[in-house]
Amino acid sequence: MDSGLRKHLNILDYTLLSLWRRRLKNLSILLVFAGVIFLVASFELVTQALTETADRALRNVPEITLQRLSAGRQETVPLTYMERLRGIFGIREIVPRVWGYYFDEVSGANYTVMGMDRRRMPGGKEMDLALARGDMPDPEERGAAVIGQGVETVLRQKGGSLLSLFRPDLSQVSFEIAGVFAPATDILTSDLIVLHPEDARDLFRIPSGMATDLLVYVANADEVSTIARKIATLLPDTRVLTRTQIRKTYQVVFGWRSGFASVCLLTALTAFVIFAWDKASGLSPEERREISVLKILGWETADILAIRFWEGLLVAGLAFVLGCTAAYVHVVFYDASLFRPVLVGWSVIRPDLRLLPTPELANFLLIFCGSVLPYLAATVIPAWRSASVPAETALSGM
Amino acid sequence: MLIELDRVSKTYNQGLPNEVAAVREVTLAIADNAMTCLRGASGCGKSTLLAIIGCVFQPTSGRVTVAGKQLARLPDRFLALHRRQYIGFIFQRFNVLPALTVQENIVLPLIPLGLTPQQMRERAGILMERFGIVHRRAFPAGQISGGELQRVAIARALVNDPPLILADEPTAHLDSRLSNEFMDCLAELKAAGKTIILTSHDPLVTGHRAVDQVIDMQDGRIHVS
Repeated sequence: MDSGLRKHLNILDYTLLSLWRRRLKNLSILLVFAGVIFLVASFELVTQALTETADRALRNVPEITLQRLSAGRQETVPLTYMERLRGIFGIREIVPRVWGYYFDEVSGANYTVMGMDRRRMPGGKEMDLALARGDMPDPEERGAAVIGQGVETVLRQKGGSLLSLFRPDLSQVSFEIAGVFAPATDILTSDLIVLHPEDARDLFRIPSGMATDLLVYVANADEVSTIARKIATLLPDTRVLTRTQIRKTYQVVFGWRSGFASVCLLTALTAFVIFAWDKASGLSPEERREISVLKILGWETADILAIRFWEGLLVAGLAFVLGCTAAYVHVVFYDASLFRPVLVGWSVIRPDLRLLPTPELANFLLIFCGSVLPYLAATVIPAWRSASVPAETALSGM
Repeated sequence: MLIELDRVSKTYNQGLPNEVAAVREVTLAIADNAMTCLRGASGCGKSTLLAIIGCVFQPTSGRVTVAGKQLARLPDRFLALHRRQYIGFIFQRFNVLPALTVQENIVLPLIPLGLTPQQMRERAGILMERFGIVHRRAFPAGQISGGELQRVAIARALVNDPPLILADEPTAHLDSRLSNEFMDCLAELKAAGKTIILTSHDPLVTGHRAVDQVIDMQDGRIHVS
């Protein structure tokens, strides 16, 4: 083996010995650093998992959703708009949807109630596949509801088998539970109640001939933006939302939450790096003596720096591996229980979805660059000063 | 002539109010295979002169030639290489690292040489055998006696087989028995062909039979009485 390489192996060996000698100090730094990386990596993985889950769930969302706005607020859409849209070439199907939010005073939860004719929706039959149990009710069947996991939990807590809701005039209407959505779709369905369109219209007292919005299905995905532009021109009082825009909204929501948390955590990381800098630049008398002894014994400044570099790399590298592994276990096996309330919660009903992030090299590289490299810089740069300890310190009989 | 010093001076904190001239215009020649003792009161500049010979300090002015090489003004890297190849140091308090084992302390000068762990262990083993500390091989240096510590320091100074041994006040913290043992050990090294320079004001050292030359120092200068 080349003697230069052998020399570096010897220095690495000495570094390991040195780390072991100061194991208490190094272990405490390692644990704090691993903790900070764990927090950053957990947020990164949770955000990624949520975005992926939302992406998967949004695959069946119509290409275009049409809403009507008046004075900046959403209004019901006349069904006559459907006729006007049929003139646009490339539209495959238009489905009116009746939906709204329902506040349950007993549980304090907000439900999303939706009524739509799934027979007219392309892929509407596949909705059965999204159910954990039961079936989507027959399109003609009134008085039946399909609910999300969160709604079912509230219903179970109340101890009832019928879903009882109140109209605006406080008259009650009850629904049989025909099916429950699967947990995999929780991010979109947890608080959802799907009814017959007429039941939903009745519950919200929406006049017949009106819908909350229109779902527009497009034959060619490449034409979505063109068709959306045509709709916006044809119906200037409407807001035209494409699936891409909705996906972006989800990404922004998760990104904002994650970004906010990341800023807080980066502050912690910065504080840690400053602490590491401070520790690395202040040398104990023992360390000063050791360095000066080594220099007199023929070690070069570069050799002392190599020790510091390896020390930093080993501590930071190990902290990185530990932190990232713990974050993965926390997110995948414990469903990110520490951060769910921050990142997943929208209302009292929180989606009980299973988070399965796909580990991406870019994410870990980002965390590596944001943690290990600053730590190395914070320890190696001041080590230059340490390595320049005058060798005579040992001669003066310290 | 192994070592030549030509009008060597060393001034600390030059140009500052606390400027100190530790060594002034010293001209000196030390022969090969001799034991030379620099004697003088504390603060007379003998340790500084030893450090200049050992390439730990650069002189402020003057010329230092060791084994035919002019060392003043050489970059740090070359001085480190020179110390590794030519010089073995024995410090005042031995400066053995207490947390390392006896063997780990002895092999410290060998680490930058790029030897294999086995080669390093073999070299250390020979010296530990020679100085009777092989049974302490795996002991932390902080847990061995003063006499053993002294032998560890000598073994460490010899492990890279340097032709020149420098010892700074080596008996300052030893009793007379250990001081005699130490000097006898240096005498053996001299007999084996080493050149030895030490600083001391201990009569046990300056009066030892193996010392060839005693150089008195006062106020940074060589004092001729």
